[in-house]
Amino acid sequence: MPPLTTALGIDSREVVARRADEVTRAIDHIRPTHVLWIPSSTLKSVIDSIEVRAREGTWISMPITREEEGIGIASGLTLGGARPLLVIQDNGIGNCLTALTTFPQPYHLPIVMLVSQRGGLNEYNSMIHTLGERVEDILDAADIRTFLLDERVPVERWATSIVGAWEHAEMTHRPVAVLLNLLY
Amino acid sequence: MTTLPPTELTRLDALAAIHHAFPSEPIVIALGTMVREMLLVAGRQPNHLHVLDAMGLVPAITLGVAMSPHGAAHARVVGIEGDGGLLMGLSSIATIGAARPENLVLIVLDNGAYAATGGQRTASPHLDLAGMARACGFQTHDIRTAAGLAVAMLDAKVRPGPWLLRISIGPKNQAAPYFLPDPVELAIDFRRYLQVPIERRADDESPAT
Repeated sequence: MPPLTTALGIDSREVVARRADEVTRAIDHIRPTHVLWIPSSTLKSVIDSIEVRAREGTWISMPITREEEGIGIASGLTLGGARPLLVIQDNGIGNCLTALTTFPQPYHLPIVMLVSQRGGLNEYNSMIHTLGERVEDILDAADIRTFLLDERVPVERWATSIVGAWEHAEMTHRPVAVLLNLLY
Repeated sequence: MTTLPPTELTRLDALAAIHHAFPSEPIVIALGTMVREMLLVAGRQPNHLHVLDAMGLVPAITLGVAMSPHGAAHARVVGIEGDGGLLMGLSSIATIGAARPENLVLIVLDNGAYAATGGQRTASPHLDLAGMARACGFQTHDIRTAAGLAVAMLDAKVRPGPWLLRISIGPKNQAAPYFLPDPVELAIDFRRYLQVPIERRADDESPAT
């Protein structure tokens, strides 16, 4: 029998690591000019890799203080010919909804956000679920296109889906969120 | 604590000085009275990006432009923000301070009030906005006079930043019409302006011989 993967029971680190590797592979392929991030424990290896690549000169990596600040910086970068990527958590979506809907969305700027989805099955922090589990609905209500990656998408398809979302933002001239549920 | 004399300056004075000092540098302008009074002063300018909402986001947008490939080609990239907007997006001065873009000039028009919504007070009169910026690594000027304004603009043009210029302005707003364009046009115009190489623009503007 394969091991069970639950928040409170059996270790799920291997599953998380495999999916995180695919996220890293996608970012390496996209090769954004700047990566702006607020870390998430499930994306720790992704952020580590972003920092390593920055030291190698592949892109500029910047920690941001708040999600809406990231939306502002990414928008300015986009206007000036850069292609930035944002990496944030779902519980920070509440912080940036106003920024998203009042700047890059009406000004038609293709901002791509990789959003780690923590709310839902296998998440241990009880505080995260209320917003996190509804983030897809919230973004949908705000007319922000989202693509959800969880266990229903084979891990082999994760990297191509993220690259596809990047291209989708470019083609639609709009912000796009990719929800990455590494826990379920 | 010493009581400072009332500022000599109005928002129109400050905006006219900024337009004069930075005629071709990219300028990101915050919503409300700043956008509308800059239109009175300068009309629609190709180097101006009007941010019609997104209160508090101008420092972050300006940082993005300043660091971008086309923005970094400019010796200065300017952001115009109010005291209410700066306080709303205050954490951006930490991020700007850490990034230290030498070409960034953030100008704060400080009237101690939310001008566009009826003049309600902000926390600004109790705070040292320039001091906070200095603690984050900015060069700063606190400006209350026309002479100080001229000196500060020149200084911010010649010495490397990031700069925060806090200009104290009086409470008066100038009657100005609403500005209701399609924001997509504003973005396209500004992006196109940033794309044009600076050398070519200078050539275009030079008189025919």
